[in-house]
Amino acid sequence: MSTDKPAWKARLLSHEMLLLYVLIAEWLFFYFTGTTTNRRGVIVGFGTIDRQFDILRHSCEIGLLALALTPVILTAGIDLSVGSLLGLCAILFGKFWHDAGLSIPVAAVLAIGCGAIGGAINAALITTLRLPPLIVTLGTYSLFRGLAEAITHGAVTYTDFPESFLFLGQERWLGLPTQAWLFLLVAVAVWLLVHRTTFGRSFRTIGFSPGGARYAGLPVNRRLALVYVLAGIISALAAIIYTARLGQAKADAGTGYELFAITAVVLGGTSIFGGSGSVHGTLLGVAAIAVLKNGLACLPVVMRMNAAEEMSGLLTGALLLLALTGSVLPKILSTLRPRRQPA
Amino acid sequence: MPPAPLLELRRLVKSYGGVRALRGVDFNLHAGEVHALLGENGAGKSTLIKTVTGAHAPSSGEIVIAGESVSGLTPTTARALGIACIYQQPALFPDLTVVENIALRLEAGATLRRLDWRARKVRAMELLARIGAAIAPDAEVRSLSMPEQQLVEIACALGAGARIVIMDEPTASLTQKEQHLLFAVVRELRGSGVGVIYISHRLEEIFALADRVTVLRDGESVGTHAVGDINEAGLIKLMVGREVAQIYPASESSAGEVVLSVREVGCRASGVHAVTFDVRAGEVFGLSGLVGAGRTELARVLFGLTPADTGEILLNGERVAISSPQNAVAHGIAYVPEDRRRHGVVLDLPIAHNMTMAIHPRIFPGAWLRFGAERSLALEFIRDLAVKCAGPDAPGGSLSGGNQQKVSLARWLATKPKLLILDEPTQGVDVGAKSEIHRIVRRLAKDGLAVILISSDLPEVIGMSDRIGVMGGGSLRAILPGKSDPHVVMAAALGTAEKGAA
Ligand SMILES: Nc1ncnc2c1ncn2[C@@H]1O[C@H](COP(=O)(O)OP(=O)(O)OP(=O)(O)O)[C@@H](O)[C@H]1O
Ligand SMILES: [Mg+2]
Repeated sequence: MSTDKPAWKARLLSHEMLLLYVLIAEWLFFYFTGTTTNRRGVIVGFGTIDRQFDILRHSCEIGLLALALTPVILTAGIDLSVGSLLGLCAILFGKFWHDAGLSIPVAAVLAIGCGAIGGAINAALITTLRLPPLIVTLGTYSLFRGLAEAITHGAVTYTDFPESFLFLGQERWLGLPTQAWLFLLVAVAVWLLVHRTTFGRSFRTIGFSPGGARYAGLPVNRRLALVYVLAGIISALAAIIYTARLGQAKADAGTGYELFAITAVVLGGTSIFGGSGSVHGTLLGVAAIAVLKNGLACLPVVMRMNAAEEMSGLLTGALLLLALTGSVLPKILSTLRPRRQPA
Repeated sequence: MPPAPLLELRRLVKSYGGVRALRGVDFNLHAGEVHALLGENGAGKSTLIKTVTGAHAPSSGEIVIAGESVSGLTPTTARALGIACIYQQPALFPDLTVVENIALRLEAGATLRRLDWRARKVRAMELLARIGAAIAPDAEVRSLSMPEQQLVEIACALGAGARIVIMDEPTASLTQKEQHLLFAVVRELRGSGVGVIYISHRLEEIFALADRVTVLRDGESVGTHAVGDINEAGLIKLMVGREVAQIYPASESSAGEVVLSVREVGCRASGVHAVTFDVRAGEVFGLSGLVGAGRTELARVLFGLTPADTGEILLNGERVAISSPQNAVAHGIAYVPEDRRRHGVVLDLPIAHNMTMAIHPRIFPGAWLRFGAERSLALEFIRDLAVKCAGPDAPGGSLSGGNQQKVSLARWLATKPKLLILDEPTQGVDVGAKSEIHRIVRRLAKDGLAVILISSDLPEVIGMSDRIGVMGGGSLRAILPGKSDPHVVMAAALGTAEKGAA
């Protein structure tokens, strides 16, 4: 189990370390077997710096969503609406800039505000009506996507963003893809929040025992509201870099991303039952999935079959099930029986 | 020599990782005897029980049942061998009804057969009636209080018709009335040739009930005696290794200003109505009553868990609305709950996290965790309250029952409250720690704290309280002076209960 300060000995065999070994093995495998063609049609290896940056650039959005979901899942909650909210915020961002004629920064701030409102709707339904997060966010999952489609009538796509904005999604800054800096910043912030503040402590406590948290006088509803609002804000950030990377804002942006993000979080060792898990685990989970997906795409055999998508889906699923059986199965079994723990 | 004992344990050893919970214990139980098991918190009593019921496999040693050595005991085979156990913590399915729980326990093994719900219900009602428990058989277990769940457990064990019945602190949360009923049941079992292993921290029960007593200390047996051959002081000395004063510390404080003033307070949802009383600084106000009298419900109202909907609550003369636990904590109210496993301690979190849980703003200014400060605070409480554990990082769930109670207490002492509400604070706590807790409560009162002490242990409420409120049916029926005659307190509790029932 990983709480916010595991002992050193336990660390080497912790879920996160095991995942790191898997990640390294995965990377080395592709390094020695994978090939790909570069822009000039020359065969290059998987291990090029360019490819690593490409992987990084393409993992930022799902990575952000996974970061958003880590605190949520720590409280034993779930947020299925992050992908849809990404789409909605992307559309709103485009609309604010294109239709309302606002400057890019103002439009971005407003879009982030809308993300916060989206998260607040989830939070309000969960804390005041005491509905299960799964049900609430399944509802907003459809609602947000539906709104995005209604706004664009399913047809409008916002394009022609200024170069200065596309720099965020398509160029490099200080050696790294620009959006990677934003991702890094959010990752550090969420890590500190979860592992170094009382907020993270209360997320875990709520995840392990909501009753225990309440009896300890922790502000359970306020903390739950915080994780869902934060998820909304980070989804909106993801929407902005998504738009900057593709150079367009469409209503179907981020479709299905929530599932990749949840997969990354769970693969990273965060218990779907709440309480235990870590942000660095999530980052490793994101990396493991991204490398797998990208690496498969440059395996000659997979390229010949043109089956990168299918293969990566299959292997991600297998990896996830492996992680689940390893770390979660005992817990599932123990919840099926009434508790007979030491007294 | 009597025939082969019903149960014999030979050099039993059990380790949990590095913790040696049992280090070679010998023990035997004969048919038709009540054999008490005594020892400090964490001495290994529950562990010993768990090896006999097959819940945990012993690391080494031998378990002999009716002359035959058994190995690889599982809960199912143990039950088939006629072993029934009432665990320290009820292990019922919370979402099922009482009837369903009893049926599940008694019919285990048979997969396909016709369900006869009427017969199930009749049997459940018979069993409950035999122990005099007034529990609706169709109630969901979730809705029952701790002692009520305990009574259901006892009914299950009775119904199983076992040869060996084990009771791990069955009376810890029962009041005198249910206790007497339970004793009658135990004596009846003994009369019919059943062997009973009885664990309790209440010495008077052991003298009232047991034939022999075995004392465990640090996982070792330090002797088995016939109850007639030993007295309380001797037992305590065996358990603790030193003498512990069995007297309640005298009240040294003179009551000061009124801290809490409760006026006609009621809460429809939890069945509390029109409760009026004051508690002064430096005073210990005891709350006595039968199970279901509304004491815990009143505490929950005062702590904002089920906020009051009528009447008013004044703190230091100022009217306050206590709408949530955070709110109560902010007002300097602390509540050590009765059900420590569900509410008092988060079992998956380390002891240190549990102890600082209610003082986040104070110990972690600006919301940043300070591991050093947390650790030293935890170490301080572990030392002060003599918590037996592997260290501040050990999860709450690895502690013995009594030690979990101390962690729960430490969490609230750390808040330095103005009003401390203790709900069964010494339930399951050993004699040494119990007198330590009493001493602490007295010291806190002397320092000007107002204390509300809810306890089903009559000598404890009487010995510790400056005034005693007796509750029944959700309202306060009488306020008696401290050191009242136990019969008077009981009469107040029973009298009102009878009136309520009529
Ligand atoms: N699952 C576990 N993991 C680690 N240590 C354990 C576990 N269960 C019990 N222990 C340890 O074993 C020792 C004996 O515990 P046990 O529960 O048997 O005590 P006990 O005599 O029943 O105490 P109490 O009177 O408080 O109930 C304790 O030190 C406890 O911390
Ligand atoms: Mg015990």
